[in-house]
Amino acid sequence: MRLSILLTLPATLLSLIYAQEQHSYTEHLHLKPLPDNSLYAGFTFTSTTPYTAYASNHFRYFPRSLAQILQYTHTAELHLRFALGRWDEESWGSRPRRGLREGGNGVELWAWMDGAEEGWSDLVNSLSGLFCASLNFVDSGKTTRPVLSFEPEGTLEELQRKRSRTGELRLLHGMLPHEVVCTENLTPFLKLLPCKGKAGISSLLDGHKLFDANWQTMAVDVRPVCTPGGDCILEIEQTVDMVLDIERSMRPRESPIPRPLPIEDVTCDETKGYNGHDTCYPRRPKGETAWSLSSVFGRPIRGSCALGGSEKQEYDITFEVPSERTVEITSETTIPQSTTSSGSRTYRLPQNADFDLNLPHQVLGSSAQASTLEQPPLYASRQLTGHGAERGGMHTLLRNPHPYTQRIVYLESLPWFLRPYMHTLALSGAGKMEKMFYTPLLDRKRGTHLELLIEIQPLSTVELTYDFEKAILRYTEYPPDANRGFDIPAAIIRVLPSSNNSQSKQGSYLRTTSLLLPLPTPDFSMPYNVIILTSTVIALGFGSIFNLLVRRFVLVEEVPGNAIAGVVRRVRDGVARIRGMVKGGGVGRVDNGGGGVVKKGEEVVGGEVRKVDGGGRGGKKDR
Amino acid sequence: MKTLNSVWAFLALASIACAAHTSNWAVLVSTSRFWFNYRHLANTLSLYRTVKRLGIPDSQILLLLPDDMACNPRNAFSGTVYSNADRRMDLYGENVEVDYRGYEVTVENFIRLLTDRWEEGVPASKRLQTDEGSNILIYMTGHGGSEFLKFQDSEEISSWDLADAFSQMREKKRYNEMLFMIDTCQANTLYRQFYAPGVIATGSSEEDESSYSHHADNDVGVAVIDRWTYYVLEFLETQVTGPTSDKTLGDLFDSYDVGKIHSNPGVRWDLFPGGEQAGRSRRVVDFFGNVQNVEVQGNQTGVESLKEDLQGLKRLVQDYQAFAAAQESNKTEMSDVVQRRNLEAVSSGKIRQKQRHTVGKLQLSENAQWARQVAGATVLSGLAALWYFAPKLM
Repeated sequence: MRLSILLTLPATLLSLIYAQEQHSYTEHLHLKPLPDNSLYAGFTFTSTTPYTAYASNHFRYFPRSLAQILQYTHTAELHLRFALGRWDEESWGSRPRRGLREGGNGVELWAWMDGAEEGWSDLVNSLSGLFCASLNFVDSGKTTRPVLSFEPEGTLEELQRKRSRTGELRLLHGMLPHEVVCTENLTPFLKLLPCKGKAGISSLLDGHKLFDANWQTMAVDVRPVCTPGGDCILEIEQTVDMVLDIERSMRPRESPIPRPLPIEDVTCDETKGYNGHDTCYPRRPKGETAWSLSSVFGRPIRGSCALGGSEKQEYDITFEVPSERTVEITSETTIPQSTTSSGSRTYRLPQNADFDLNLPHQVLGSSAQASTLEQPPLYASRQLTGHGAERGGMHTLLRNPHPYTQRIVYLESLPWFLRPYMHTLALSGAGKMEKMFYTPLLDRKRGTHLELLIEIQPLSTVELTYDFEKAILRYTEYPPDANRGFDIPAAIIRVLPSSNNSQSKQGSYLRTTSLLLPLPTPDFSMPYNVIILTSTVIALGFGSIFNLLVRRFVLVEEVPGNAIAGVVRRVRDGVARIRGMVKGGGVGRVDNGGGGVVKKGEEVVGGEVRKVDGGGRGGKKDR
Repeated sequence: MKTLNSVWAFLALASIACAAHTSNWAVLVSTSRFWFNYRHLANTLSLYRTVKRLGIPDSQILLLLPDDMACNPRNAFSGTVYSNADRRMDLYGENVEVDYRGYEVTVENFIRLLTDRWEEGVPASKRLQTDEGSNILIYMTGHGGSEFLKFQDSEEISSWDLADAFSQMREKKRYNEMLFMIDTCQANTLYRQFYAPGVIATGSSEEDESSYSHHADNDVGVAVIDRWTYYVLEFLETQVTGPTSDKTLGDLFDSYDVGKIHSNPGVRWDLFPGGEQAGRSRRVVDFFGNVQNVEVQGNQTGVESLKEDLQGLKRLVQDYQAFAAAQESNKTEMSDVVQRRNLEAVSSGKIRQKQRHTVGKLQLSENAQWARQVAGATVLSGLAALWYFAPKLM
């Protein structure tokens, strides 16, 4: 008995320690100056929780609000992206993290869930409340089920086996290209973090600088990781990637509009032919701009968010900068730093002190200027062609700059009012279409889902074109700013891993830009204008025209009597007769046809009574 | 003992008289889209910051912004909305939660929000989860006209819709008192049709009057605040300095200066129980702040039940004293005591009435119905006679 207790004690201790380890939180910042005075900053926040704790609602670093949504909607894996801007491949090279944490302009969401459509609709509604985004607009018309484009990042089959669920998990994907990304999306994003944006690298994130970036993505990825024979953990990775323009970010908040310096402070380029006392071309300062973290982000890093599990990571910040570049650290305590094998500098954040990196102005040698940028796997661009309000064309250029064949999956999810003609789909250039997955559109119910597996030959370009027709929407289906146009979501291109490179089975991703489609839009002031115009025409014209058409001028004598007037006349005659009989006692009455007494001012003419002064009776006779 | 009882009774009466609210909610609506309507969003965001400053948490504020000014590409100050050209206060800041944005701000969503008629799946942060003890502040701004308010330049809400929505809220017991503020052209016409009790309404301009903007910022490029809202905010920022401020609604409405606002703001008191007198004495923080009172559920108020408990204890003490005396005197008065207590219990059970809340019934006066029926019949018969006799006339 006692022996068994003794044996179980270390086991429970071990399991406790193991369980503690399963609750972990790490964060990491990757900084890399890019050519043309830009700075790439990639923030990664990862927390994990054991699946048993998640199922029993015991949360430590994992955000409870998001976990409850995932539980309620039976979501196994979730990927949510908020993005704005455009990644400039020519200047900046390949995308960070191989494009795995990038989204199309606006909001993009895809998830593996068990269950039918209700789970998806519940998920988008709950996420819209959590992230202050109008995700609830992702309905069946904007949802697709991609086949080849996405692979689960977590071990979903293991998870299903562990939970002894039999149903298959389905992938649903939705995009909202017109969604605005602003501080109200960043606020709940930061509230999901354990340190809530108050300490650690998340203290650098500020809506004023983040949404002024050239390119910016915020991502939330939740995935289960199950080890065979071990326990499952649920991992959430929150990522913020941005490319800031250093000079623009350093402008003061109070006066961000650049104003020219006084002429005394401007250095003129003297090599120009027109340089004179009144003509000056400002010379670009040579060398690297001086900048620091606090001037670019607006504040230094405040302390570190060192919670359970961060000891596993050796450093918090990776600074990928040429070795000649001087980097000064401004902090109250000494910072442990080292250099990785690739030449990047790494730092560990102090617990309770501010941390700032300061780079002074420096002119680097030409060897350091040599581009350390990685060649992107593919260059892609997509445009709308054609003119007019009825039809148009889509044109995509795909260029393979590498000396080996690339196989890509090209996914397009088009709204229903853009009706592509699939018989016009053509692929020209050195490439061939291996497979095609196509779901045609249903008006107002479902959009087009087009997925192509294309093989592109080395060092060649491929053009993908098709024609489409634009639908005419109903009057109530236009948004309030209808004349802006309608947004077409970005095309998602997945470059499949080739056998040459040792990449993971995910491959890399890139997205084209979203497009703006002008649809035939009615003039919304038209109904009001028509009503006003028609009413005016009728009011002015109808009366006169009707009279002209219908009115007939006749002499008084020709007018026939009408029935009621006859009745009235007879009644009046009778009354007058009675009165006359009562008054005059039957003195002979004058037969004047009009009945009764001849009044003063009237005379009997031709058997009818007429007023002598000829009042305005007109042509009509009043009897 | 008698004075103590009277004090308790007075307190009980007093607590019944001032029916206190138990929560505060704010619904702040801007109804305009496009960059040149920057000032409407700035109006709404200034009110948002004010109610947050005075204590209402984000979970009890519903903010409806149809367009994005802060991250608009035309905004030179990225991520910032200013309501004043001195640019001292950034209204967007670092902590803002917008519940309805973009195309979600529609008349339908607004009325559903007020009346809480949602389909399944709508998250709690988008719902107005008020109960009968909640005070609600509703602020609307945008472009409007006589008895209507324009939503995003594509649809309108009329004063009748608002009146009906508020009466639905009243029937569903969704508010205790409501303060309705509106800053548009011809704003006072919007509250003309209200008929639900418990609403104080105030607007920025009379019928056939426009409301004007206050000033523009040259770097932002457009007008940044409206006049009426500017002066209301001036009062709130200089006079209502904290959640415990004693300033009343009477003070707020007295601060209206027609010479500064350039239009005639109005107030409507007649729907409020107690009329203008009661309304003027309400504190500003009753609507803008978050003062919470606790209401004890049950048949009696806390004071009354305490009184009864005290009386019961008194009786018990007397009985035990008698029993102890009997024990001492070796007389078995125990049975008498027990009998007496049983009798008392029975009689008090009869006397103690359960206080029931009486639900006010909707009275349909019989006379009015009859009159309406007779009038309808006469009209119909007149029309029938006309139809029958008309050919004879021609």
